[in-house]
Amino acid sequence: MSRFLSVLVHGIWKDLPPFRLVLGLCPALAVTASANNGMGMGLSVTFVLIFSNLTISLLRNIIPDKVRIASYIVIIATLVVLVEMILQAYFFGLSQQLGIYIPLIVVNCIILGRAEAFAARNPAFLSAVDGFSVGLGFTFSLTLVGSIREILGAGTWFGIPLTGPDFEPFAFLVKAPGAFICLGLILGLMNAYGRWRGENVIQ
Amino acid sequence: MREIAKLVLVLGLICGISAGSLSTVRTYLADRIEQQNDLFVRGPALELLLQQPAQDILANKLIIDSPEGQALLFYIMDTGRVSGLAIETVGKGGYGGDISLMLGVNMESNQLLGLEIIKHQETPGIGAQIEKTTFRNQWRKLSTRDPVRLIAAGGTIDGISGATYSTNAVMDGTQKAISAFNNSKDQISELIQQANSADQQIE
Amino acid sequence: MDLILLAISAIFVNNILLAQYLGNCPFMGVSKKLSTSLGMGVAVIFVATLASIFTWLVYYYILVPLELKYIQTLIFILIIASLVQFVEIFLKRFSKGLYNALGIYLPLITTNCAVMGIALLNIKHEFGFWEMVVFSISSAAGFTLAILLFASIRERLFISHVPQFMRGSAIALVTAGIMSLSFMGFCGMVN
Repeated sequence: MSRFLSVLVHGIWKDLPPFRLVLGLCPALAVTASANNGMGMGLSVTFVLIFSNLTISLLRNIIPDKVRIASYIVIIATLVVLVEMILQAYFFGLSQQLGIYIPLIVVNCIILGRAEAFAARNPAFLSAVDGFSVGLGFTFSLTLVGSIREILGAGTWFGIPLTGPDFEPFAFLVKAPGAFICLGLILGLMNAYGRWRGENVIQ
Repeated sequence: MREIAKLVLVLGLICGISAGSLSTVRTYLADRIEQQNDLFVRGPALELLLQQPAQDILANKLIIDSPEGQALLFYIMDTGRVSGLAIETVGKGGYGGDISLMLGVNMESNQLLGLEIIKHQETPGIGAQIEKTTFRNQWRKLSTRDPVRLIAAGGTIDGISGATYSTNAVMDGTQKAISAFNNSKDQISELIQQANSADQQIE
Repeated sequence: MDLILLAISAIFVNNILLAQYLGNCPFMGVSKKLSTSLGMGVAVIFVATLASIFTWLVYYYILVPLELKYIQTLIFILIIASLVQFVEIFLKRFSKGLYNALGIYLPLITTNCAVMGIALLNIKHEFGFWEMVVFSISSAAGFTLAILLFASIRERLFISHVPQFMRGSAIALVTAGIMSLSFMGFCGMVN
């Protein structure tokens, strides 16, 4: 039971991607110009993570070691195509906005990383929980970055105008350089908080 | 030898299952994806041209064969008769590639209802001026019986200076749409009758 | 002339790393030293160009006629993964020198989103064959340029005084942001 809980929460703080676990940076930078896109991307990745972890864990005793990576890639890619089709059918606007970053979930290192590090040697249920936890952490981070950039960069949140007409948005934040600097500062703040709590941060 | 056979078998099995599941999902979602695509890509143009909600127009979709290749066509009905058409064609030779456009036709007066650009990759600020209403409004009320030409060629259209390629591609698309309309008037009305009687049989 | 413009825009204006955010994991991971960055950059140019040619041909001559466009993602990643394997085996056999120089970067390239990203962008922009070749080479060259510049900056960062909490990835990201800002200055070059 304690195992279950520790797996459930590790993705939300201890291994929170992409801040604590510096993986999956491309989507974290690319689609976080608005909170809505960040959340959509996060949820798509969560979907793929849960099911890839589950499938890989179920098949872990059948897949020979030599074709391990190839099999993982096929499984992950299948799930990504599935997500692509579902988004096109039910969330067309979002799928247009996320564009090529949806197929690029295939090469998101978080997913292959979790498959190798967790699903390949743990039972199915725990693996699915791990996928859920890491995915949730990723969704949270992307929504957070997206919110900061959208509120300060465009004056809206999930498309709802928040600031009055007197507020001149920092347009810089919704452009490419803003993404890097915003993510870098959040990472720095999290390190500072970790150090303050006395955690040993190796980065 | 047995090991290699096992490798091939497992990989083959995984690929087979993934291909199977994807094509199943595809058959379920293909229609919906196409509808969504129509709604978001063509919907706005159709609403502007035909002045009706896109949902009502999109169901009335036909593909007609003309000497220049296939053209996509949408129609609206008014008291049992076809009152308006929108013809989509592809204009070749733009600066950034082909330009997809849609031409509205009033069936009663044989006049053009207007021009809408569906998709283009022209240079922002130069070729992309084909999107401006001042340029597109020149198509309104032109007759389908006379060829649409640039002023330089003895017509009425004032092209965009500095964007000859873009202007020519739009003219190419226009000519294709008008000739498709003139050459296949009979074919169009026949197809629409067929489609409507098929609808009534289903009801 | 158009092809030259395309190349300039892919290297400077729409730099794949700094403007399109692709390939950031290796960017952060291997850019600590100039020599490893050079190895990674050359390997990316090599694989990205080959992968783009293969995926483009497969897309237009197999997937489009068979109406299988929707599984493009699956096919592309399989092509890239097996291509990387083949290149590795080939180099090991025929060019020991190149293998020693690039070998360790090759496995990392399969999950480098720059390679997959360039392949997908070729299709999205509906490029013809030669446009595709020029775009792939120059995008990958843009990646190499950015990663080389960045590695030189990072070697300096190593010996400069950075606040404790900003050390490592945090300051690297902020630096990348400032680089991206300076690359925005190229915007006026095309159009």
